[in-house]
Amino acid sequence: MPEQPPHDSEGAVAGTGMGGAMDLAASEATTLERAPGGPEGPGGPEGPGGREDAEGAGPAAGRPRSLWSDAWRDLRRNPVFLVSALVILFLVVIAAWPSLIASGNPLTCDLARAQDGPAPGHPFGFDGQGCDVYTRTVYGARASVTVGVCATLGVALLGSVLGGLAGFFGGTWDGFLSRITDIFFAIPVVLGGLVLLSVVTSNTVWPVVGFIVLLGWPQISRIARGSVITAKQHDYVQAARALGASNSRILLRHIAPNAVAPVIVVATIALGTYIALEATLSYLGVGLKPPSVSWGIDISAASPYIRNAPHALLWPAGALAITVLAFIMLGDAVRDALDPKLR
Amino acid sequence: MAEPVLEVEGLVKHYPLTRGVLFRKQIGSVKAVDGVDFTLGRGETLGIVGESGCGKSTVAKLLCHLERPTAGAIRYRGEDITKLSGKALKAVRRNIQMVFQDPYTSLNPRMTVGDIVGEPYEIHPEAAPKGDRRRRVRELLDVVGLDPEYVNRYPHQFSGGQRQRIGIARGLALRPEIIVADEPVSALDVSVQAQVINLMDRLQAEFELSYVFIAHDLSIVRHISDRVAVMYLGRIVETGTDTEIYDHPTHPYTQALLSAVPVPDPDARERRERIILSGDVPSPADIPSGCRFRTRCFKARERCALEVPALAVPAEFRYATGPAVHDSACLFAEELRVVPAEEHGNGPG
Amino acid sequence: MLLEVRDLRVEFRTREGVAHAVNGVTYQVDAGETLAVLGESGSGKSVTAQAVMGILDMPPGRITGGEILFRGQDLLKLKEDERRRIRGAEMAMIFQDALSALNPVLTVGDQLAEMFVVHRGTSRKDARARAVELMDRVRIPAAAQRVRDYPHQFSGGMRQRIMIAMALALEPALVIADEPTTALDVTVQAQVMDLLAELRREYRMGLVLITHDLGVVADVADRIAVMYAGRIVESAPVHDLYKAPAHPYTRGLLDSIPRLDLKGRELYAIKGLPPSLTRIPPGCAFHPRCPMARDVCRTDPPPLYEVDQRRGSACHFWRECLDG
Repeated sequence: MPEQPPHDSEGAVAGTGMGGAMDLAASEATTLERAPGGPEGPGGPEGPGGREDAEGAGPAAGRPRSLWSDAWRDLRRNPVFLVSALVILFLVVIAAWPSLIASGNPLTCDLARAQDGPAPGHPFGFDGQGCDVYTRTVYGARASVTVGVCATLGVALLGSVLGGLAGFFGGTWDGFLSRITDIFFAIPVVLGGLVLLSVVTSNTVWPVVGFIVLLGWPQISRIARGSVITAKQHDYVQAARALGASNSRILLRHIAPNAVAPVIVVATIALGTYIALEATLSYLGVGLKPPSVSWGIDISAASPYIRNAPHALLWPAGALAITVLAFIMLGDAVRDALDPKLR
Repeated sequence: MAEPVLEVEGLVKHYPLTRGVLFRKQIGSVKAVDGVDFTLGRGETLGIVGESGCGKSTVAKLLCHLERPTAGAIRYRGEDITKLSGKALKAVRRNIQMVFQDPYTSLNPRMTVGDIVGEPYEIHPEAAPKGDRRRRVRELLDVVGLDPEYVNRYPHQFSGGQRQRIGIARGLALRPEIIVADEPVSALDVSVQAQVINLMDRLQAEFELSYVFIAHDLSIVRHISDRVAVMYLGRIVETGTDTEIYDHPTHPYTQALLSAVPVPDPDARERRERIILSGDVPSPADIPSGCRFRTRCFKARERCALEVPALAVPAEFRYATGPAVHDSACLFAEELRVVPAEEHGNGPG
Repeated sequence: MLLEVRDLRVEFRTREGVAHAVNGVTYQVDAGETLAVLGESGSGKSVTAQAVMGILDMPPGRITGGEILFRGQDLLKLKEDERRRIRGAEMAMIFQDALSALNPVLTVGDQLAEMFVVHRGTSRKDARARAVELMDRVRIPAAAQRVRDYPHQFSGGMRQRIMIAMALALEPALVIADEPTTALDVTVQAQVMDLLAELRREYRMGLVLITHDLGVVADVADRIAVMYAGRIVESAPVHDLYKAPAHPYTRGLLDSIPRLDLKGRELYAIKGLPPSLTRIPPGCAFHPRCPMARDVCRTDPPPLYEVDQRRGSACHFWRECLDG
């Protein structure tokens, strides 16, 4: 077999610069050392075509494993996953029951204390309206996390289903879908929000979520389409087809696990921008309206006073940053766990 | 010849070439396979050789129903499988399995070896009762020379040769009658190629398999095949037993191909006469008239541009006997020995 | 001596530890001579060549010892800009994959002319004329027209000819060809190897041919160096080696390839797999796969024994191996 030029090797293989075979051989040798019966191994005398490759009998195989069970085992031991999962769990809990850690009312404000710094009982200080920043930050989690998570889930589901199917089946539908995504890409987000959301009177987060999903899915759909097309060209898809596998089996068993990584990465990064987009829309008066509380509303409200009262901006912005970081880290950990090569 | 299990007749696969974004207009076609006939006997190995672009891989895909032919018939036990679909097709698929060229992309990197080899049973639940599947998977791994304890590992933990064994185990799972192997060893190291070829030899005897063995390496094809078909630009130009093709070739393309193969014997380099072909293979979208090999042929005459030679015993050999008498699609066929005769038996040491 | 590699050692840092890719390789190439370096993937044959050319990726690669003498001058002691002057002008490399080694957005004429402009300071116009001349030399039909074509418009064989033309543009004294015909069909492979051999004779170049194909070696090489796990295990004139190999690995390789001229039954297969370069077995690296291995092979690494004046074998029992 020709040696691969080192520049071609990707990912895990790149380390040696020697091409894949060497790295594969590396893992082989690990097992070779563990083999009972010394380095000669049991396969020696059986001759050609025998079990000469099978020298490295690994530890006894227990239950059959699958990608998902292995991924879960891997995640449980990954500190990045544990930290980000704990942060997200905490966010979910305070989004559901903010009163657990904040006793005040986010809407009780005292203009006399506007822009004041931290005081006893008010560790984060006060914002421009004299409201307690700590309480508002805690209560703001609900709207922001709901918008971020729901919009991301909606975008990821809609985008990857439509993009994945288009990439898999190709043809007329693919062409049609591609033109539709082009049209959606051409809609300016803020202007679209002003027009579409101004006709909505509901004061919940759902119109905002719906609007983000509507404008966000083409991005994921493009990525999903591309990675499905890449995965589709691999021989293992042909192999499954030759076995008589149905389209749904090929899509779910073979293509989806191999195409999902870029979707996860882009979706988790997009989550942050969706929370920020909610803030922008709220600032323009078409997103959430007071008395709703959200980080976006607070950040935009505090931004004019950044010189006098930076704390009013920094706390909600910090909360937003931690949330986004936690989701990105979670996405990274999940993506790595789904790649057996990185274990 | 043994009872035929697969008969291929007039197999054609043309890929349309289109232009235009909205209104697609066909401006021609790539004639990947352009009229191929052969028969595969039970327990026999048919080797198909040819250079890249000759259509040999497309033939493999057509046999495994990964592509639908433009025309022609593929008869498995007398039944034309090209028209089948649904349940009937799925049933036929159990009997014709494929081994792929690239062991690095033919196994799903996100499935364990146990899942890969066991997948055929999930697709064809009738092939093995559910409780028995794990035992069968382990048995298959053992048969191809891998440790059954490997079931929970992932493909990337194996070397190329071991991966190819996994691919072969998957192909064997449904106990097929026919295995179509498309360049199964060309991606492997020399010392590992021999292991895999020996394995395929052994499995053929053990499971009474018929092989369609597609490769560009003429030495390997000779080693494993009972009969050989040489393809050029979508057609078979010469076919016969391995001795007929290798020791008594009558088609100029076969002769050139054989003379170009490097032989691992430095003493042979002075003795050998090379036929160096000029130019490149023409595009399959623009096939020359008459004999399709004439643009590179060292024997081409005017008649070759006008007449399409049929794949049959050439007129010159009509009344002759011996190994030179076999099907060869050339108007001016004559025997030419290009592989140096072996002087001393240099068998396995 | 044109090129002399002495006890070269190269390591790579990997996630599994340090990979010893090249462990004391020594070989020589004379002007006008063809040395074939034969090995499987991971044997270190390409890494050695990259170290000689000075195109090794460092890091993760690291040259930990040895000398590379080119016309008596140790290349490893030169500064990068001095080496760059030698590279291309005095030694050149031909890669396996011509499509990725050529720049897809420049015409082949521009890429060939570039060599003259950069190294020789030739004017654009003259360089272009030289490019057409070169394409003629490597027998590309209608060179004057095709000089304006892009790499993808050529067939694989023609692209490899352009690679050869580029390597030979400045008439280097040494050419390293890394699997130059592996990606090509047999009939085209024969054309390209013939061309290479002819040009080598004409320019009296030294040629290092890196390959895994025992057939190609037998066809063109004068001498052969067989590599295994980063070491040369046997080096010999090509006729001697094929007649009677002095190392069990070479013998195994020769026995394991199917032959065009005979229909054998079962092929001999070397058992097992090449070792991981992060854990090369102690003693002789080949001992776990060797049919002749004895206790001493597990502990003492064999030196390159002198079989005769022109041959060496890194096997404790080369005499027995030679006798078959």
